Amino acid sequence: MNRPQALCYKIKWGPDTGPPRYDHNNMTFEQQILQYLITGVTVGSIYALIGMGFNIIYNSTEIINFAQGEFVMLGGLLTVSGMQLLHLPVPFAAILAIVGVSLIGITLDRAAIRPPKDPSPITLIIITIGASIFIRGMSSLIWGKEPYPIPAFSGEEPIPFFGAVIQPQSVWVMGVALIVVLSLRQFFGRTLTGKAMMASAVQPRAAKLVGIEASYMVLLSFALSGAVGAAAGIVIAPMSMVQYDMGVMMGLKGFCAAIIGGIGHPLGVVFGGVILGIVESLGAGLISSGYKDAIAFVILLLMLFFRPQGILGKTKGERV
Amino acid sequence: MMTLSLMKKPLAGFVLFSILLLLLPFTVTNDYYINVLIIIGINSIIVIGLDLLVGYTGQISLGHAAFYGLGAYITGILSARWAWPPIGGLLISLVMVGILAFLIGIPTLKLHGHYLAMATLGLGIIVFIFFQELDFLTGGPSGLVGIAPMSLFGIPFDSDLSYYYLVSAFLLATLLLSINVVRSRVGRALRAIHGSEVAASVLGVNISRFKVGIFVLSALYAVTAGWLYAHYITFISPSSFGFMFSIKLITMVVIGSLGSLWGAIFGAALLTSLPEFLVVFENYETSVFGLILILVMIFMPRGLMRGLEDLIKRMIDLGRQNLKERSPTS
Amino acid sequence: MNPVLKTEGLSKHFGGVKALDQLDLEISKGAIQSIIGPNGAGKTTLFNVISNVIPPTGGEVLFNGVKITRKQTHTIAAMGLTRTFQNLRLFSEMTVLENVMVGMHLRSKGGFFSSALKLPWVFREERRIREESREWLRFVGLHDHTDRIAGSLPFGNQRILELARALASKPQLLMLDEPAAGLNMRETQDMVQLISRIRDLDITVVLVEHDMDLVMEVSERVTVLDQGRKIAEGDPEAIRKDEAVLKAYLGEE
Repeated sequence: MNRPQALCYKIKWGPDTGPPRYDHNNMTFEQQILQYLITGVTVGSIYALIGMGFNIIYNSTEIINFAQGEFVMLGGLLTVSGMQLLHLPVPFAAILAIVGVSLIGITLDRAAIRPPKDPSPITLIIITIGASIFIRGMSSLIWGKEPYPIPAFSGEEPIPFFGAVIQPQSVWVMGVALIVVLSLRQFFGRTLTGKAMMASAVQPRAAKLVGIEASYMVLLSFALSGAVGAAAGIVIAPMSMVQYDMGVMMGLKGFCAAIIGGIGHPLGVVFGGVILGIVESLGAGLISSGYKDAIAFVILLLMLFFRPQGILGKTKGERV
Repeated sequence: MMTLSLMKKPLAGFVLFSILLLLLPFTVTNDYYINVLIIIGINSIIVIGLDLLVGYTGQISLGHAAFYGLGAYITGILSARWAWPPIGGLLISLVMVGILAFLIGIPTLKLHGHYLAMATLGLGIIVFIFFQELDFLTGGPSGLVGIAPMSLFGIPFDSDLSYYYLVSAFLLATLLLSINVVRSRVGRALRAIHGSEVAASVLGVNISRFKVGIFVLSALYAVTAGWLYAHYITFISPSSFGFMFSIKLITMVVIGSLGSLWGAIFGAALLTSLPEFLVVFENYETSVFGLILILVMIFMPRGLMRGLEDLIKRMIDLGRQNLKERSPTS
Repeated sequence: MNPVLKTEGLSKHFGGVKALDQLDLEISKGAIQSIIGPNGAGKTTLFNVISNVIPPTGGEVLFNGVKITRKQTHTIAAMGLTRTFQNLRLFSEMTVLENVMVGMHLRSKGGFFSSALKLPWVFREERRIREESREWLRFVGLHDHTDRIAGSLPFGNQRILELARALASKPQLLMLDEPAAGLNMRETQDMVQLISRIRDLDITVVLVEHDMDLVMEVSERVTVLDQGRKIAEGDPEAIRKDEAVLKAYLGEE
């Protein structure tokens, strides 16, 4: 068998999740570990992308958007529709999906986040949860409950790598994640709009004084976060299939990545995503695949209990 | 207005509610609806506990289905695998989950807002994964069969009607305990924590103790509900205790009114019966839940029942004003 | 006289800012002592650190000679030290009476178990709490508003309610954080009266205040802070003439 079944590796959690099935017979233990690491970094890149989506909204609003995972799912499913209904090639379908999810992000902000006056955190939590299950429910009506495949962007011929293999799609995933991280850095650090977004988050009133409209910045953050989430959903689709309910786990893992790195910390999330991906992949491969998702949540809880500011985050100044 | 006066005198309300529960089965023509009433009762028990935590104390839990599931699984496993009597299952699960909730609650309830939400959600999912993976005990994803039907002290509760009264008795007991807690020093401390943790602590309220205490109490309610559920259905599978069910529970609390025990029962009754009565609703169920959550939070952040109450009050005030404005001219 | 409260080298740094810088302070029993100082002098931080709402960077706090520096806020309250807040922190969804009843938390015992079962002694205790809370409302003059929702009271009454709530815990030492902020002239006069009457209850009062007239009228001793340090201390008359104080205040203008 030439082609390892790494493609079958599903991120979706559920009774049917098997362990990553590599052709272990031909690999030494070290090569296996390497293979797990590669898978880990790939999946971790996705977590990092999703975590960045959380960060963008958190940085401008201090809201944790529980519907973040749905952006990922929508990115994948809209791409499927673009390809099947409009017969678009993948790149165009992807762009269309990214734009579409940005619009959905904007709608979410305008329709659900903005209307309540002076909302408490609990109110906002419940609203974003409501939005998330609303979107999921609608998606199951539109696309049904079956998983959709998206073909790999540049073939499925694995690239040998020190005795292990890298799927071309993995390269795509890591590449896209890298590009998104770098562009977001540029955007927030260099451009006027990006700086304005950060400013309106840190000092909303002061920002308003110099003419920055905070609500517009929030809107922008939802659009941007939608786009990043959609991108994650699109690049991972060829490896995991797309399904209406993939958002729950994706969102939670992304949040987990953000927490590990330190929520709101721009580079921490990349770090957190990769760590989470690797630990999961090693845990699934070496211990038990059934508990793979539990590993992520145990890490999440340990982080929340013992170091809620994340590994890279600084302690917040105490406020009263 | 009746609800208003009932809330002021909860004990009168409690007596009326007991009579209502007693008579309800006689108004129901179809046996199937007794089923629905039983499930409403079971859900109400969980939601009352969750409301004490979320509505009164202001601490969210997105993982309460886990405690419900633990209650069902512990008694279920003891019953199906080792033929324990239900009462033994109840005691063991109360003790085990009580200790578990206490140990988990200490670090968890130090967290606030979004962090608390995510942590409880994570806990719920971890427990769910255990239900699925410990298949030598739980039967795995396909479920646990062979749970004995309810029988207490030699009395079998094998008919739906008898089970209805059993659940009602537990519901009333939970409700009474909760009314007492709410209207006490403890209840005031909980609401004070909700209002301002700093202010409560400078008045000597041990924040952590009360938060963990109410967390454990609400977990024990959920365990009791799970126990009632397991011995009623006699078959359980992980899917009844997943993330979506936690969300449904929160929806019930929110719809009913955060911080009103009657509202909690109302919310449980409404959301449990809705899908039953509207079969067409089935495919839309999830979306409708989501939509309800958003709309209630935007327009009636104090819950449907209080929202309606506020609306009525406002209309009465408006009416009075109109009268006043007119009276000088008339 | 033995100091009821004492700080030794108390410091609190926020990043590079020293809100409290090696502060030594003594509050004698039974006094009304004011702490004044220009904005940012560290007055509110002092209260926050004493009640351990925020932990200090260094130094010790002693209450009746016992170290309370690392004790939890509610433990400190149980030892007899409570406070009010500059930005009101009422339980705004609860009634006026209920707010005061929470104030009696420390002086009652009902727990989860006994309350849920409504044991007879809990029933009696509850009645005692209710009656005494009404008395406190009478003491401060809010008895006509017993069943109103606290958040719906006028601002001045909310300040008084917060005071009543703190009094209900019968503290030995009561720290008032700007009790007159936001009050009009008449309300401020009422507050002055109230504070003097509190002293008659054998409660030591420490207050942070901007309103100089109130400070001069009510205090027996005044401590002046500037940039986290004590720059003067004495009776109101002496402080009025103190040059360092004038400089600190004028420097601020």
